[in-house]
Amino acid sequence: MAKAAGATITLPTELDIKAAAPLAAELAAARGGDLTLNLSQVERVGAQCLQVLLSAAATWSADGAELALEDPSPAFVDAAAIAGLDLSRFTAPFHGPLHGKE
Amino acid sequence: MDTMAAIKQTFFQECEEQLAELEEGLLAIEREEGDLETINAVFRAVHSIKGGAGAFGLDDLVRFAHTFETTLDGMRSGKLEITPQIVKLMLRSADILSDLVRISRDGGEMDAGRVAQMTDELARTGGAGPVAPAAAAPQPPAFEPLAAGEAEPQVDEFGFAPVQISFDTLIADDEAAGIRQAVHIRFTPKPELYAKANDALRLLRELGRLGEMEVSCDASAVPLLGELDPEGAYLTWDITLTGDLDEKAVREVFEFVEFDCDLSIDTAVAGPVMDESDAAQTVQAILAQVAAEEAAGQERHAAPQAEAPAPVRAAPPAAQAASAAPQQAANSQAPQPGATIRVDLDRVDRLIDLVGELVINQSMLAQRVMEAGIARLSDVAVGLDDLEHLTREIQDSVMAIRAQPVRPIFQRMSRVVREVADMTGKSVRLVTEGENCEVDKTVIERLADPLTHMIRNAIDHGLEKPEDRLAAGKPEQGVVRMVAAHRSGRVVIEVSDDGAGINRSRVRQIAVDRGIVAEDAQLSDAEIDDLIFAPGFSTAAAISDVSGRGVGMDVVRRSIQALGGRITITSRPGLGTTFTLSLPLTLAVLDGMVVNVAGQTLVVPLSAIVETLQPKAQDVHGLGEKARVIGIRGAFIPLIDVGCVLGYRDEEADPLASVAMMVETENQSQCALLVDGIVGQQQVVIKSLETNYGHVFGVAGATILGDGRVAVILDVDAIVAGSRAEAARMDANRKRSAA
Repeated sequence: MAKAAGATITLPTELDIKAAAPLAAELAAARGGDLTLNLSQVERVGAQCLQVLLSAAATWSADGAELALEDPSPAFVDAAAIAGLDLSRFTAPFHGPLHGKE
Repeated sequence: MDTMAAIKQTFFQECEEQLAELEEGLLAIEREEGDLETINAVFRAVHSIKGGAGAFGLDDLVRFAHTFETTLDGMRSGKLEITPQIVKLMLRSADILSDLVRISRDGGEMDAGRVAQMTDELARTGGAGPVAPAAAAPQPPAFEPLAAGEAEPQVDEFGFAPVQISFDTLIADDEAAGIRQAVHIRFTPKPELYAKANDALRLLRELGRLGEMEVSCDASAVPLLGELDPEGAYLTWDITLTGDLDEKAVREVFEFVEFDCDLSIDTAVAGPVMDESDAAQTVQAILAQVAAEEAAGQERHAAPQAEAPAPVRAAPPAAQAASAAPQQAANSQAPQPGATIRVDLDRVDRLIDLVGELVINQSMLAQRVMEAGIARLSDVAVGLDDLEHLTREIQDSVMAIRAQPVRPIFQRMSRVVREVADMTGKSVRLVTEGENCEVDKTVIERLADPLTHMIRNAIDHGLEKPEDRLAAGKPEQGVVRMVAAHRSGRVVIEVSDDGAGINRSRVRQIAVDRGIVAEDAQLSDAEIDDLIFAPGFSTAAAISDVSGRGVGMDVVRRSIQALGGRITITSRPGLGTTFTLSLPLTLAVLDGMVVNVAGQTLVVPLSAIVETLQPKAQDVHGLGEKARVIGIRGAFIPLIDVGCVLGYRDEEADPLASVAMMVETENQSQCALLVDGIVGQQQVVIKSLETNYGHVFGVAGATILGDGRVAVILDVDAIVAGSRAEAARMDANRKRSAA
């Protein structure tokens, strides 16, 4: 997973329902540039935090900025797999010739 | 109108919007500006049309929309690579869809061959599965997604997999729930599920213990961060479980969340294609489920839905379709433009009329106050000033209600370009600018035909054949530009091509042959170009399939004039031709200069006036027999007596006792209009002469002044053009009599 230029946010160990709102706020505040999410500390993941991360990926993509994942923990990889979500979905929702804003 | 017809009408209105969105999205994709949301929007548009069409039993429409949708879905899930060819195919499919919608609404015959061919092409892209069986569950049609499901055994990433609820599990008794090879589950949590400390991932894990599990997640409803409720619920999962399964065990996983999610458990995934009666029964089952859920209310009980009573409620099919398709509802959370309401146009027009009356009334009141000799700074006068401001603001706001961007009409033109380019074998790119420019709705509606004709002309006559272009050192692909802009209180739309320009000698020859002009007439380039608008003029040597439809540019000019607009043409040999449409922004108000001419009160649009001046004797010169010019700062410009042009008087007025108003016409040339005196400046409400009486030369409309009198509003360009034509005619006459 390549590291994007710009800021890095290290996500907390618990990404449960209580973490969703703070996570959304933190990500919203980081908009406007490339961002790397460090997932090495993540131990527990809930569906709502996955929603927030998917939304972030779509938002970054719409902004034309890069969102990258760094060092995803086994817990995160497992949670994404259970949810039927490829890790690439959390970086850019769509890879193709449409990516015109680069 | 009965209710059903009213619903149907709304459906067609929505279809128009969906089609516009579809085309806009596809064009964005073509320009490589699209993103995932664009594809989703495109997909949603087709999906909505299909859903609605199903509810009204429009089978042809449903069938085509389904094939189209399936291909789009392939695009969405990334299975189908997005190439320019694919996007072109999509655009052509959108055209056919639009035709099908139109025929469904207005009646008529669709070229079945065209539809079949396109269906075939779509199917061949590979993005689509096998084409759905023709019976896309037409009976009852509201539940068309069933057929979609059968045609798409693959569960796509973002897809709207159908809501499938097995007839067996719902209607039959528990015996139906036994050992199954595969179970398909569609699971959409509601926010309450999370709020009650359940987590979708935990449920998925539990399901995973029951057998081999394949999960795909539909994240298309997840909004951007700005609109995201972090504790909302946006995901839908499609789960396929295989192995020795007890359906009860599957249901038990969801035991405590059953009312906090939309859930369908289907044991018939691998089964044969459902026939119509099955589909009908399934719909009934869903109706039963919906009823049961409502009956259950908030009360928690884990009894299988099958045990609930199954009354089938009589409700409009569309409503049922909506409840049966929660994913559609979830999808509507995607970014939407600001909230809107539909208002009957008559009501808006009535409001506009009333505001017009208000403006007249206000100016009458102001005049009375002035006549009563009340001081300018008195409270009454100041209050009146405030009233005037308010009136103006109300007026602007009301006009804004009717104003709409020209975007839809521009989009429609891109279709015309595609079709004409196909027919003529020319390669054409349409470039549009200023789509957001807003114009009165009536104006927009009536622009479609003239613009279509101009675009056809530009491609058919304007652009050269590819080989000629290459020979002339131009790129093979021709460019047609459509630009809209606001210019001094009017909307100007330019349609230009980069073709060969007007062949003036040929145009002149044709005009002479047809007796439109005399053989020896001295015509300037602009006048020759203008001949294109002459009635009965057609330059096509052979009437082609494209342009020669018996509609000439004279019809275009007439329809533009009927809108209070003007059309002009400029052409440069080898570089192309530009048609310029100038249209009034609104059909209702105008800032005007009130003037006197031969005892008549006239209004001159302020936007046309550059300056006013009192002519001096040494500046006015005669030119030829009757024409006069005035020298201003070293330049000579024509002096036109408005009274003579309009026929108020025969003898030209004495310039020294008059006022000259310098006006600028649409084609940027300047003229001086001679009037007797200036009364003042005023905002006037335009009352159309065309609507109430008929077109009168030199008059753009009429208005009611503060003192209650009627005044005509001058059409400056027509007056200038008229006086030139007059001069040309006299010139020709003189030559003839001299010969």
